[in-house]
Amino acid sequence: MPESPRKSPVSVDPGRLRLDSGQTPSGVLIGMRCLDCAIYVFGQAVFCQACSSSRLEPADLSRTGTLFSYTIVRVPPDGWPGPVPYVLGEVELPEGPHILAEVIDVAHEDLKIGTEMRLALQEVRSGDSGPTFVVYKWVPAMTATFQSGEA
Amino acid sequence: MVQFKPGREVMVVGVGLHPFGRFRDKDLATLARESVVEALKDSGVGWRDIPVAYFGHVYYHGMSVGETALASLGLTGIPIINVENACSSGSTAFWQAYWGISTGMYDLALAFGAEKVPGGPVTVTAADSPDRYIGGDHMMAGYALRMRRYMEETGAPASALAQVSVKARQSASLNPYAHRKETFTVEDVLSSRPISDPLTLFQCCPTSEGSAAAVLCTREELGRYGLDESRAIRVVAAALTSGNYNGRGSDHSAFSPYRTEPAALQAYEMSGLGPEDVDLVQVHDAATIGELQQVEALQLFPKGEAWRATVEGRTALTGDLPVNTDGGLLAMGHPFGATGIRMVHETVIQLRGEAGPRQISNARVGLAQCSGAGDVTTVHILAK
Repeated sequence: MPESPRKSPVSVDPGRLRLDSGQTPSGVLIGMRCLDCAIYVFGQAVFCQACSSSRLEPADLSRTGTLFSYTIVRVPPDGWPGPVPYVLGEVELPEGPHILAEVIDVAHEDLKIGTEMRLALQEVRSGDSGPTFVVYKWVPAMTATFQSGEA
Repeated sequence: MVQFKPGREVMVVGVGLHPFGRFRDKDLATLARESVVEALKDSGVGWRDIPVAYFGHVYYHGMSVGETALASLGLTGIPIINVENACSSGSTAFWQAYWGISTGMYDLALAFGAEKVPGGPVTVTAADSPDRYIGGDHMMAGYALRMRRYMEETGAPASALAQVSVKARQSASLNPYAHRKETFTVEDVLSSRPISDPLTLFQCCPTSEGSAAAVLCTREELGRYGLDESRAIRVVAAALTSGNYNGRGSDHSAFSPYRTEPAALQAYEMSGLGPEDVDLVQVHDAATIGELQQVEALQLFPKGEAWRATVEGRTALTGDLPVNTDGGLLAMGHPFGATGIRMVHETVIQLRGEAGPRQISNARVGLAQCSGAGDVTTVHILAK
C-alpha cells in the first residue's frame, strides 16, 4: 500500500514565522519595516508602532541576536506542551525587536546575558492528540554551529 | 499626547473592602456586593442616589456580573458598566468614575471590583493562542526576565529583592484584611520554592479572591447629599495609559516597565504636584521586582536606587516614603478586579488617619499605581 503523504509542517503563527515549502521545517521570523522611520516590528502591523505611518513593507528578520534576559520556568503555564523546567529567553535582534522563545540545547549554567543566539525550529505537538506546529526557539550560536539541521 | 481638561473637583467620600483570601462559599457577585455595602455605609450616600456604577473584573463568571452583584440592593435602572482591563480593571473602573463626575455627567459614582483568581501561573492569552506553544505567556516569567536585567544593571543582590517581600508581610501582619499575614525572613523568601528563576514563590503575589469599592462625589455637591467634607479625600489626578512599543516587542528592561512613566507624568501635570510631594505610595508589586521598578518609574527614587532604599528601610511603614502600606499585592493579595480600588481604599484610610496600627504619620498626599497586561498603567493621586 502506498504510504499516505506526510502533512506539510504548519507554522505556530504564520504572521510571525514564515515556513519554506517542503517537509523539513525551515523558515524565518518575519515582521514589518516602516518606510518613514525605519523601525522594525515583529509580526504583522497595520500602522508603524513608533510613528503611526501606514507605509510598511514586509521584512525578514535576522536569524541571530543576543540574549537580553532569561529565566528558568519551573512551574509552567497551562497548555505548555514542552519539558519542565524550560528556559525562556528574550533575544534582541539587530533590527530592534525583542523576541521571547524557549532556549534549547543549553546547560543552565552556561546561560549568560549577551550570548549570541541563533534561531531554531522544532515541531511541537500538544499532548498525544493535539495539533502539531513548527515553533521558533533559540539555541546558543556556539551550539548551533556544531549541529546539523539548524534553521 | 496629554489630552485632559479637569473639570469639577472629585472626592472619594466612602470606601469598602472585603478581606482578600479564599472564600469558596461566596460567588463573585456576593463578594462584590459586600464591599459595595461597606462603601455606601462609610460614605453615608443612599443607594438610590447612586447614578452610575463601574465594575472591574477579569475572569468569566457569567455575563453582566456587575448587575448581578447590585441586584439585591434593588435595580434602580442606572447605567452599570462592566470593565475588563486586566490587573488594572479596578483602577480603570475608578478612573471612569472620576471622569464621569469631573466632566459633569454625574454628581456621584460607584466604582467597585472583585475577583476569584484561579490558582497556578497567570496567563494573558486565550487557551488556543500560539504563545501557549511558544512559552512566553507566563506573568511571573516576565517579571523574572525584568528582575534579571535589573540585578545585572544595578548590582542589586537577591537579598534586596527578597526584602521587598519581607517588608510586605510586615505591613500585612498589621492588616486583618490581608491574604498573607505571616511574617518571614529574607532567608525564608530566598529558600522558598523556585517559580521562574530568579523569582521564588514568596516573591510572587498570591492568587486571591476579594473585593473593594469606592463612592465618589463632586466637591460642589457634597452638601446636597449631606456628606461630611472632613472625611472626604480629593482625587487630584487620574491618569490611564496603555502600551507603546516602538517596535521593541517583548521588552523586559530594567527600567520604566509597562510605560508607567507617561502615566506618572500625566498625573503630576494634572495635579500640579511632583514626586517630592508624595507621602505614601501603593504600587503594583505582583512580584518583588515590580515594586522597585514602579517606584523608580514614578520618579520617587532615582533609577537603580530603589533596592538600596528598601534595604535601608525607607519604604517601610516607619520610613520616609512608605510603599504598599497594607501589604501590597505580595501580601494583601491580588484579586485583579479589586486591586486598583484596594489601593484607593488604603490611601483614603491613611489620609483620613484611620489606618490603625499601620497608620503612617503626617500623610497628606498618596499615590496609587496599578498595572495590567497590555501595558496598562493607571496613576491616581489623592490628597487631604
